[in-house]
Amino acid sequence: MKLLESIKKDFNTMTWVLIPVAIAINVVIGQIVVLLKLPVFLDSIGTMLVAVVCGPWAGALTGTLSNIIWGLAIDPSAFPWFPVALFIGFVTGWCAQGGLFRNTWKVAITGFIVALTAAAVSTPISVYLYGGITASGSSIITAYLLQTGRDLLTSVLSTNFLVEPVDKISTAFLAFAILRGLSARYLARFPRAGNATPEKDDRRALFIGVGIFVVLAILVANLINPAFLWIGLGVAVVVIGVGLLSSRIR
Amino acid sequence: MVIVDLQHVTYRYPMTEQSALEDVSLHIEEGEFVAVIGPNGAGKSTLCYTVAGFIPHFFKGELEGTVEVAGVESRQASLEQRVRSVGLVFQNPFNQISGAKYTVFEEIAFGLENLGVSRAEMPARVEQVMALTGITDLAERSPYALSGGQQQRVALASILVMEPKVLVLDEPTSQLDPVGTREVFGVIRNMALRGMTVLMVEHKLEWVAAFADRVIALENGRILAEGTPAEVLTDERLLEHHFGFSRYTLAAREGRKEALWPPDRRLPVTLDEAETGFREGLRRP
Amino acid sequence: MRERLSFYIQRHSPIHRLNPFTKLTLAFALVLISFFSPWYWTALCLILLVIFPLAIIGRVGREFFAAALRLLVPVTGFIFLMQSLFLPGGETVLFRFWFLRVTLESVARAFLISMRIFGMVSSFILFLLTTHPSELMTDLTRRGLPGTVAYVIISTLQILPQMQAKAQTIIAAQRSRGLAVEGSFIRRVRALVPLVGPLVFGSLVEVEERAIAIEARAFSATGPKTSYREIDDTPFDRTVRWLMVALVVLSLAARFFG
Repeated sequence: MKLLESIKKDFNTMTWVLIPVAIAINVVIGQIVVLLKLPVFLDSIGTMLVAVVCGPWAGALTGTLSNIIWGLAIDPSAFPWFPVALFIGFVTGWCAQGGLFRNTWKVAITGFIVALTAAAVSTPISVYLYGGITASGSSIITAYLLQTGRDLLTSVLSTNFLVEPVDKISTAFLAFAILRGLSARYLARFPRAGNATPEKDDRRALFIGVGIFVVLAILVANLINPAFLWIGLGVAVVVIGVGLLSSRIR
Repeated sequence: MVIVDLQHVTYRYPMTEQSALEDVSLHIEEGEFVAVIGPNGAGKSTLCYTVAGFIPHFFKGELEGTVEVAGVESRQASLEQRVRSVGLVFQNPFNQISGAKYTVFEEIAFGLENLGVSRAEMPARVEQVMALTGITDLAERSPYALSGGQQQRVALASILVMEPKVLVLDEPTSQLDPVGTREVFGVIRNMALRGMTVLMVEHKLEWVAAFADRVIALENGRILAEGTPAEVLTDERLLEHHFGFSRYTLAAREGRKEALWPPDRRLPVTLDEAETGFREGLRRP
Repeated sequence: MRERLSFYIQRHSPIHRLNPFTKLTLAFALVLISFFSPWYWTALCLILLVIFPLAIIGRVGREFFAAALRLLVPVTGFIFLMQSLFLPGGETVLFRFWFLRVTLESVARAFLISMRIFGMVSSFILFLLTTHPSELMTDLTRRGLPGTVAYVIISTLQILPQMQAKAQTIIAAQRSRGLAVEGSFIRRVRALVPLVGPLVFGSLVEVEERAIAIEARAFSATGPKTSYREIDDTPFDRTVRWLMVALVVLSLAARFFG
């Protein structure tokens, strides 16, 4: 029953009222980003907000419902992608539970972990449902990779690993900035407000920043040689591991 | 019979140092109309939340003293009990729309659904409060597509339909235009005439004088003055503490300096009192 | 200002009268059958022989084709073209051009996938055009969906247009103050904060008051709840639902044993 307790803890009336607002934030910012023609989605800022202050289950529900609403109100082709949004919410909440949403470098790591999850979850959907090439612009990269002789699965996976980190790390930073702008007294009404308690940045920020940059560079190099995909993921694991271990030791 | 009974209530919101209420005791008789006045940050909304049980249930924080409504200590009361004994309506009409419903009729029935009132009972109760609040013709409209005054009357109806014993109004007209203000005060007057127990926070002192049996002046979380409107609303301490006076009281106060207001007459709080007083003052040699 | 945001068109038709859950089952069944069925032309046949006629019977034909034209034709067109050109494999080369090698097999597969996606999205469009979100949620709540989840969906659908209107106002206001929403990449990134900030903080601050307002109406009461609205569920509805389930099972069986 521990699981049920943990699920219940995420939801109070503030959560139920925050979720619709968070979904509306997802949609409206998503649309503003399209208007500004920025090369990112930024359509899960609200999901991340809920995940941090209410918890992983509330985050997962927000992500799922966000996709359902997008489908109900704007474009039904959003429906099949709901597992991606679900995992974005869940993993963000899970990271925040572990204290990974308290300062800049930790938020960067959260964004990165979320990106890897989103990439992994969206790959089977785009391969099995859409045959690998979806309506998104990044499909051009997939198409290119296919022409270099790579198989469908690794082409799609490589594309996603390339596209997701930039988007999810920016999203995490924006969510973090919003949380910083809200008063502690206001946040205290949410079930897991403690996850957003700010912490000071330290030298690790630079290390993690450089680490993530290196991983991104390797993932770009992956376009030339598929071996880099696995090297990149290996380095990512090392960077995240070292970051977490060093904070454990302190 | 005392229906609201606060004894030595002191309250602090979480993550704050200062008490929002400090040793407040308040008794309201059944059928009484009590108005609360005070500057911003005096603790007026906090008092409303305390009477309605949102403190401590929703806001958490530290509550000392006892709060009893309709004989039940609010710390022990379930949400259903609290909702059935106190109805709360506040400033912003827009934020009081539940968002759960597409029509005014269903919006009003929302509380009944949550309380598990049988479906057969709903139409009569909803129609009755719609008539009472004058919104019968809005039944099929979207609650979002109404004017502020209409929305606030929907909010009132949504609370009244649950038949609370006490109505708590936290500046119900502060965000309305003059037309909306008059509409909403019309409904409140109706409720008062029907013997409803009301606790109302209000800035518009003319209305306070017109409605209230008793006025409480709050400052810095403490009760500064308490009594009939005539006593409290002309209390010189109100001016010292920047509460202000109503325009009738102020006019007479100025008039007294110019010998236009009879020196033995107390300052007026309503238009009628002001009119009689000035007539008398002008007739004197 | 739009009062609500959804595809729903209020009309009187046999499809509108169906129970919302029946329509939902129908939409899912059409999707599943088109993906499971081993027969190549299933998706196309479902679109032409089931979804299109139902849209006409539901008296939402014009809206249906408008939505399909806006949402589906560009997307499926893009997918069809990209996959025909770039998916590797196949023997029968139709033509070569530069580095591209287009085969009959890849075109055939691209066509199958685009038709499935067209079928999937259009069956949901049909469902949404003929089903009021509030009726759907009432019916699903009766069938066990938590009332809180129904609340989230309905209130999002109502808040969203308000937020979009607010966003429009903010964009117009910031533009008139000289904010550049066009121009270089850096300028567009910089434009994001003044547009998003007021919108986000404004709506978050309201959350507390709105939570108090619904609590004042017993939102989180623990006792049994009732519903004013009642949604019809006829024997015909139940028959249609079971028929759909049977067809899905049949198409699954055909795939694995056929």
